[in-house]
Amino acid sequence: MSNTTRILTVDDSPSMRALLNHALSGHGFDVSQAEDGMAALDWLAMNEVDVVITDINMPRLDGFGLIERLREGSRHRDRPILVLTTESSDEKKARARAAGATGWIVKPFDPEKLVAAVRRVAH
Amino acid sequence: MSFEQPIPGAPPLERVTVMQGQALASASPSIEYSTVLGSCVATCLFDPQTKVGGMNHFLLSEPPANLPGTQVDEHYGVYLMELLVNQMLAKGARKSNLKAHLYGGANVNRNMMRIGTMNAEFAREFLRREGIALMREDLGGTNARRVDFRPASGQVRLRTVEDRFAPPVQPTPRPAVSTGDVELF
Repeated sequence: MSNTTRILTVDDSPSMRALLNHALSGHGFDVSQAEDGMAALDWLAMNEVDVVITDINMPRLDGFGLIERLREGSRHRDRPILVLTTESSDEKKARARAAGATGWIVKPFDPEKLVAAVRRVAH
Repeated sequence: MSFEQPIPGAPPLERVTVMQGQALASASPSIEYSTVLGSCVATCLFDPQTKVGGMNHFLLSEPPANLPGTQVDEHYGVYLMELLVNQMLAKGARKSNLKAHLYGGANVNRNMMRIGTMNAEFAREFLRREGIALMREDLGGTNARRVDFRPASGQVRLRTVEDRFAPPVQPTPRPAVSTGDVELF
C-alpha cells in the first residue's frame, strides 16, 4: 500500500482546481479533482481518499451539503475535510463546523500553509 | 441613446465607482458601475436570464517570490475573479449563463510596459478555462479608458480618457494578514 497521501479537491472553478493541483502535486500528494459536491460523492463511492478539500459555493451540491452527506455514513465519518473558500463570514464558518468540517481556510490560499494543514490532518 | 439622458419613469441612477481590488454585483436597474482603467483590467459579467451583472477591477503584480513562476500573481487573480463570480451567484446568476466583457490592460507607463498586457492575458485565459463566453474586449493600447456598466441590463459604455484620470499604476496588493490562514476545528 502506498504511503502517498491521497487528496480529493472539490471546486467548480477549473482555474482553482489547477492551482490546487499544482500546489499539492508539487509536494508529493496524490491529487484527484471533482467539479462539485455531486461529482465528489460519485468519485468517493468508487475511490479511497485521505483528505477532502472543498469549496463552499458550487452548483448542484455545495460544500455544506457535501460535508453533511459524507458525515451521514460511517465510511467518511472521520475523514478530514478542509473547507477552502472565499467566504469569510463567521456564520458560514460556524455552519461548516457544525456540519462536520475539520478546518477552514480562506482564499487566496498560501500553498505552504495549505500543505502544512493537509499534513496535520491526514491520518 | 446616451446613458446620461433620463428615461421617463426610470428610477434615479446611482453611480457606484468600482475601485481597484473590488468586485461588485447587482440586479438593480438603478445602479451603474463606473471605473477608470489604465493598466488595470475590469471584467464585466452579465447573466441575461436573471438580469444580474457585476464588475471587478484589478491589477495583478508579479507573484510573491515563494510561488512558482507565473507572469502575474495568478493565485490572487483567480481569487479576485472568483469573488466576482460568487457575488453574481449570490444574486441569483448561474455560472453557465455568464457572458463577459474585458476592458483596460493598457501599457500607459513606459516603466511598467508589460503589466497591462500580462493582466489582460490573465483575464482572457481565466475566462477561457472557466468556459465563460467573452463577448467583447477592448484591451491593450496606451490610452486610459472609462467604463460605465449597468448590471441589470448588461449595457456598457466605453470611452477613452486622458491618462491623468486613470488611477496610479499600483498592483492590487494581497491582504497583508490572514491570507490563506488555516483554522482547524
